Amino acid sequence: MKKRFYSFTILLSVLMIFGILGISATAKAEEPIVIKVGNMSPLSGPAGPWGQTPIPAYDAYVELLNKEGIKIGGKTYKIQLIHVDDQNTAEGGASAAKRLIYEEKVKFIVGHWSWNFPAVAAVTNAAKVIYICRTGNEAVPGGAYSPKKMPYVVFGTPSHEKFISDIKAIVSAYPKYKRIGINDSTLGKGVGWDYVDKELTKAGIRFHHEWYPPGTQDFTPFLTRYNEAGCDVVYGAGDVMAAMMIAKQRWEMGFKDWKTGTSGMLLDPMMYIGVSGMEASQGFMGSYAANWNFKKTKINPKYAKMCQEVQKMVAAKIGKPYNFTGWTEWVPTHLTILVQAMEKAGTVEDTDAIMKAIRGGTFDTPMGKYTMSGTKTYGSPVVFGSAGAMGQIQGTKEVYLSESPWKPLP
Amino acid sequence: MPPAGIWIDGLTQSCTYMTMAFGMVLVFSILGILNWAHGQFYMLGAILVYYAVTAAGIPFPFSLLMAGLAMALLGVIIKVAIINRVKGDVYVGVVTLSLIFFFEGAASMLFGMNDRGLAIVMPGVLDMGLFSVSYQKIAVIIFTFVVMIAMYFVLNRTKVGKAIRAVAQQPDAASLYGISVERLSFIVMGIGCAMAAMAGSIMAPVYSINPFIGRTPMIMALLAIVIGGLGSLTGAIVGALILGFLHSVIAYYISYLAEVVLFIFVIFILLVKPQGLFGASAK
Repeated sequence: MKKRFYSFTILLSVLMIFGILGISATAKAEEPIVIKVGNMSPLSGPAGPWGQTPIPAYDAYVELLNKEGIKIGGKTYKIQLIHVDDQNTAEGGASAAKRLIYEEKVKFIVGHWSWNFPAVAAVTNAAKVIYICRTGNEAVPGGAYSPKKMPYVVFGTPSHEKFISDIKAIVSAYPKYKRIGINDSTLGKGVGWDYVDKELTKAGIRFHHEWYPPGTQDFTPFLTRYNEAGCDVVYGAGDVMAAMMIAKQRWEMGFKDWKTGTSGMLLDPMMYIGVSGMEASQGFMGSYAANWNFKKTKINPKYAKMCQEVQKMVAAKIGKPYNFTGWTEWVPTHLTILVQAMEKAGTVEDTDAIMKAIRGGTFDTPMGKYTMSGTKTYGSPVVFGSAGAMGQIQGTKEVYLSESPWKPLP
Repeated sequence: MPPAGIWIDGLTQSCTYMTMAFGMVLVFSILGILNWAHGQFYMLGAILVYYAVTAAGIPFPFSLLMAGLAMALLGVIIKVAIINRVKGDVYVGVVTLSLIFFFEGAASMLFGMNDRGLAIVMPGVLDMGLFSVSYQKIAVIIFTFVVMIAMYFVLNRTKVGKAIRAVAQQPDAASLYGISVERLSFIVMGIGCAMAAMAGSIMAPVYSINPFIGRTPMIMALLAIVIGGLGSLTGAIVGALILGFLHSVIAYYISYLAEVVLFIFVIFILLVKPQGLFGASAK
């Protein structure tokens, strides 16, 4: 009897041990596999706010994406986003890419902020890392971009097309405008702007283009030139400080009816009010990415809900309202393109297969439907289908102004 | 002929460069060094005044004076703790260059990198019919005028001022007459840094404030003293006036190429008159 009892106990113990091992093995098999993705953005220097402000939202978005579960080729994955500082320079970007690839072992990089992507592309292509960035002057014919030499570069945010859409959105909001004064610092000067000017001229938009040296704070001479050119709208290419100074100084010079703004997202209305003054910053325009408020662009309700959820998550984390909505356009869009391409390709390992899925593919993103070009950039659409929306400051809040969905350049 | 607004803008620019250049040339005359971090005292002055007004609620004129005093003290501390311990002009130059990045980095950490502003201080404009000028710009012009008159009296009517001039002209002879060059160098470092800080403070409501705003005024102040003649206080004032007006007028005519023309102008001056317009030699 005693012997039978011992035998039974041992058998039961063995069964239990195997059972526990089996369960843990199954659990291990179901644990999501980590996909490391690098996010390069300026975290220091004058452009630092652009990189720092959206980071909590990027992290919250990835948290939601992971909670939803990423299924590729029958396996479950989760994304780990690694933020590094690209200093908004070519050298900083190249060094950040090296760190991400060789130290963090990432296979994908999204969100590089600088328009100067070729230096980064040289690093990523050599390592066969897919790199989703914005376009810049180098992306247009005559620039450094070559689909053959840079087979793993993807343009996920087309800078110049977006600027054109912004201007068209302004025209639709203020159809009685006289002339639009466009400006950028000389750092942005290049062939991309020739395309912008050509496209605006073709669209019959009246404009006057000015360039200013980087770091300029005094815009009186430029505003005087705009006045003499008959401008009543002044819109810049993303330099926040310049745009705030223009808003303030045009007010002081007596051009109170002029509309001003910048193609960057509005970081925090209170910042513009603090620098330009309450009256001068009213009506200040900026790109708008609160996709749940879009009127012309169809957004998948799933993404609109996710983005609103992110706003709440970040607000709860930082303990105050999170008013910045510009984060939606960059990393989440790039990440969504990447994940959907992996799903289509059925792999996270085969970079060539993922690139094949990206090229010519259509992706449903938080900013609308993106259709990627084949291997060309201009001459064939890079991306189109997104919102091109504008917001403006009213009181102490940012509100929807107008929309002009992006169209491909011919 | 450029419109009146451009001339007033030029005068405002000149005023900033003047206060900056005056402080810089004063330090150079006595200490024999170019303080490359002079622009960062401008930036720190603007940040201090920002906090004094917005966080502590101190009236702007008092905040401005406070920022000047605080930066004068910081300048003296830097002189004692760093500059005095480094031997050789080149190395001192490198140290002050390093301070640019130190101060900008520290300000980025403490102040953050977002632009901030003091638009609430002296808002509004004086409408003159054909053009209007903000009260903030008018304040800059008046402030500079007051500072320059005050400095004139200090340098010409006070014992310290006369000592500064004596040391600037003949340091060895001045020390034979019992003037303590070392003690004077502390005073001058303090005045120089205070002037940069007050220039930044008075400009804080006019422009935006961030950790990198000191770079351009520093370069322009340097150009002003090179045009005027290194070591010449009059030269610094005239150089700043020329640069401020030229900058605005040229930018009005040829837009972004203005800086290229300005630098060509500086090179031309140096080729024609290597010692600068007022020809005051350095020590």
